[in-house]
Amino acid sequence: MNVFRFFRLHANSWSIMSIIFMLLILSPTLSIFVQIFEKPNENWTHIQEFLLKNYIQNTITIVFFTGLFSILVGVSLAWFVTAYTFPLRRFFKWGLILPLAIPPYIGAYTYHGIVNYTGVLQSTLRNEFNITANPAYFDIMNIPGAIFIFTIFLYPYVYIITRAYLEQQSASLIENARLLGSGPLELFFHVIMPISRTAIIGGASLVILEVLNDYGVVSYFGIQVFTTAIFQAWFGMSDVASAIKLAGMLMAIVFLILFLEKVLRGRKQYSYSNAKVRPLEPISLSREKTILLFVYVLFIFTIGFLIPFVQLFQWMMLTYEKVISPDFLQLIFNSVYVSLISSFLIMIIALVIGNFTRLADSPWSKAVSRITVLGYSIPGAVIAIGVLTFFLWLDRHLNMVYTALGIDAPIILSLSLVMLIFAYVSRFLAIGFNPVDAGFDKIGRSFTEASRLLGTSLMRTFFKVDLPMIRGAVFGGFTLVFIEVMKELPLTLLLQPFNFYTLSTKAFQYANDEAVHEAALASMLIILISGLSIFVFHAVLEKEKK
Amino acid sequence: MVMQLQNVTFSYRNAKEKTIQHMSMEMEKGEILTILGQSGSGKSTVLRLIAGLEVPEEGMMTINGSTMFDQETFVQPEKRGVGMVFQDYALFPHMTVAGNIKFGLKKMKRTERNDRLASVIELVGLKGFEKRYPHELSGGQQQRVALARAMAPNPSIILFDEPFSNLDADLQIKIRDELRTILKKAGITAIFVTHDQADARAIADRVILMEKGHIVKIGTPDLILC
Repeated sequence: MNVFRFFRLHANSWSIMSIIFMLLILSPTLSIFVQIFEKPNENWTHIQEFLLKNYIQNTITIVFFTGLFSILVGVSLAWFVTAYTFPLRRFFKWGLILPLAIPPYIGAYTYHGIVNYTGVLQSTLRNEFNITANPAYFDIMNIPGAIFIFTIFLYPYVYIITRAYLEQQSASLIENARLLGSGPLELFFHVIMPISRTAIIGGASLVILEVLNDYGVVSYFGIQVFTTAIFQAWFGMSDVASAIKLAGMLMAIVFLILFLEKVLRGRKQYSYSNAKVRPLEPISLSREKTILLFVYVLFIFTIGFLIPFVQLFQWMMLTYEKVISPDFLQLIFNSVYVSLISSFLIMIIALVIGNFTRLADSPWSKAVSRITVLGYSIPGAVIAIGVLTFFLWLDRHLNMVYTALGIDAPIILSLSLVMLIFAYVSRFLAIGFNPVDAGFDKIGRSFTEASRLLGTSLMRTFFKVDLPMIRGAVFGGFTLVFIEVMKELPLTLLLQPFNFYTLSTKAFQYANDEAVHEAALASMLIILISGLSIFVFHAVLEKEKK
Repeated sequence: MVMQLQNVTFSYRNAKEKTIQHMSMEMEKGEILTILGQSGSGKSTVLRLIAGLEVPEEGMMTINGSTMFDQETFVQPEKRGVGMVFQDYALFPHMTVAGNIKFGLKKMKRTERNDRLASVIELVGLKGFEKRYPHELSGGQQQRVALARAMAPNPSIILFDEPFSNLDADLQIKIRDELRTILKKAGITAIFVTHDQADARAIADRVILMEKGHIVKIGTPDLILC
């Protein structure tokens, strides 16, 4: 085909903008790749010799056990809720997702506050029962403690996906197994687990990616893993080169996980089949078993949501008068401000790339959409390092421009909010992109084609036809991004400009300064907003189903 | 001659065989043509090529004498003056019947636009339905809105992609005859794609029989469908 014709056909504003956006989003990651192989310095030799083994060991231990326990808890709950009747089942169906509203770092300092020497647990034992227990029994600031925290606040990922799968796909399989005389245990391990394998792996890999992303829990508990090491290299030693090497290694682990997920899942994608599948009818168990089941479900709900929520509420009531101040309102304003700008930018970029990949519908436009969603798998600390080195490089090269403009400062961008927002956009683009992509997928292409055949340009078609038709998805995506940015911790800690705090970084700072009670109000706000996110997510999902 | 295709070849990406192979045809003004073929014969692809929704590998096409595509040119669908009635109608669900029909009339003045709306609505017999939304209409009514929408900007040709496949059998026959009357009355050049011989016989002035991307036969319905 004629080359000129090819360019005239494909070089429209959508494809050009998409490629520019994609290059920008990729640049931080690329800048890590470029620098990862640079000659190591003294610090790195030290890290490699004495610390690296420890990082790897701790990371693997936490990832492995959190993955394992999340699967056990998540799948068992999903199965019980789908297959059996018990009191308050309808409430728990949703209630069991609520722990997800509590970011693990908030859960971590809340639980520490509950079980430490002055916390409610030990003081009650001392004052009411006159028991002074060995404080070591109550120490959760260690690896098992971290695994506990991650499991109870992240298992809902496994629970949600597995439950959705079991509800939609399994009725006839399970009923057949029952008719063939499988007992409940046999049924669970030989039918439920294997058939929901893809769903379980999908959920577990989300849990693992969250664990690898975490900085709050491990740093609060004083556990050495990759994210804490990145922070130390950067803030402690001002050694960006070593931070980059650590970030590169962490990224390699993430890619390994993503690869494993693909292999384990096999060729099956866990599909939410659209065909109307008969839902599984829950059956009732004997009285004793029902009670047992209810206690188990209630127990998980209590430790995953009720206890931390009530404790935070109590602390909030103790301290809110002291905490609420113009400074605190400024925090809320900061959080809302960066979240709004980021969500807005993300939705614009998501719409541009989504529309481009849909219209081009070629292998390389599919590659663009794959790359777009990759950012969400990469830990915040890694993105932060990449963005920082990228912006430092930009500043170096813009120096002449600054001088020409009469600005007497060597670095400008790297100290500004622009850098933070840029990082949010590359990390959370996937969250805005996925609903947009699904929305476009659902409406198909015939409306767009019809509009163009009525003499309407691509651009006008987008505003008059495409956008109004997917506005629900756009709104859903916007809300989800907004809330993710609100909750975000590691990336914000690394990139927030001097004297700029958000609700999450301030809450974390309070907690780190042994002022857990003062952290409660900010934490509560974050939890309420996250709770809203869960609600919106399911509202969107339910709507999509119809 | 309203439209001419010459030696057009096309294949979908990843497809081993050519979907359309060296196809040539032409059409006179006011003619109703039916492309008849099994699924996979490439008949719908011909419509998409004429509309500008797919890019051919070889060949050229003119409409009213101006080139729509050849090796150097490719005119985008919105500039071709071709109307299309989609298989699933593709009525914009967020617009009323009037909004849908007026969608292609932006270049007209306001009063002109309303006049045109009134006259096509009259022609398809949907007076009084202007304020309805597509989901508030029956299948047959939706199809007539789709036709009115395609007709409104006065395109050189209107393309129909399996227009009767979503209708009940008895409705199908009624609408088929109605459609022919409307098209003839308005003097519209039209191409229908169908797999149903009865459709072809009832509506077409001329029939093209397609198999595996080739034209097998061209002629009047009586000649082809014996």
